[in-house]
Amino acid sequence: MRLFEATHVFKHDWDTVSLANWRKYPNDKTPHVRHVEVINQELDETTGILRMERLIMVKQNVPTLIRKLFGGDVSYVLEYSEVDPKQRTLTMQSQNLTFGNLLSVGEHIVYKPDPENVKHTVFVQSAQVKAAGAMSRFASRVEDFCVNRFKDNASIGRMGLEQQAQTMLLAA
Amino acid sequence: MDSIGDECTPLKHEYDACFNKWYSEKFLNGDSTNECLAVFKKYQACVKKVLQDKGLTKMITDARPAIGSTFGDDQEAK
Repeated sequence: MRLFEATHVFKHDWDTVSLANWRKYPNDKTPHVRHVEVINQELDETTGILRMERLIMVKQNVPTLIRKLFGGDVSYVLEYSEVDPKQRTLTMQSQNLTFGNLLSVGEHIVYKPDPENVKHTVFVQSAQVKAAGAMSRFASRVEDFCVNRFKDNASIGRMGLEQQAQTMLLAA
Repeated sequence: MDSIGDECTPLKHEYDACFNKWYSEKFLNGDSTNECLAVFKKYQACVKKVLQDKGLTKMITDARPAIGSTFGDDQEAK
């Protein structure tokens, strides 16, 4: 099992970042994210909390060997989010649906205002990668490969969000 | 961005546009009326059928506990 953790401060307020989070796909930095489907949503009128469930379809550009080993290059991720507009907090959790018999990737993300500067937003991301089943024999190598891939995608994802925030601010 | 099911794409675009506007102009300002509910229900019904056809429904159900999702298979949107 490998754990990946990262913290980043966006130099935009939480309102801007939280909206950019919903609007960040499609963008040219993440062509592997092909579809983002909202499958459930619920607004709690008492607490004001918004709950969202999304299904994300990813098509990775992977070597033929990996594609054959995994039986395809299309994978699905389920994501659950809660947005508390009063506390200004957005939390997201996700889990891979496909290839779960080989590999489990769970991710947890929080966006909240920076306590040191309310015009900035703190982004805390953690992911847990665990090889399973037939992959267990090669656990450390498979997990290292995935964590590295995750790091690359995480940094690209942050760039995508930053780009979306800039676009929104220019349009405002 | 298109929907997983081509037939749902127009509804998805309508919903996405509604959501973005509502989220920034109403929701973040404390208005807890879900203005996009009607279009969401239509979009959701369309996607639900596509997910069933693709055999994804059970995988989604099974993954919910791991991500703390409070949703169920036949939950009505609010």
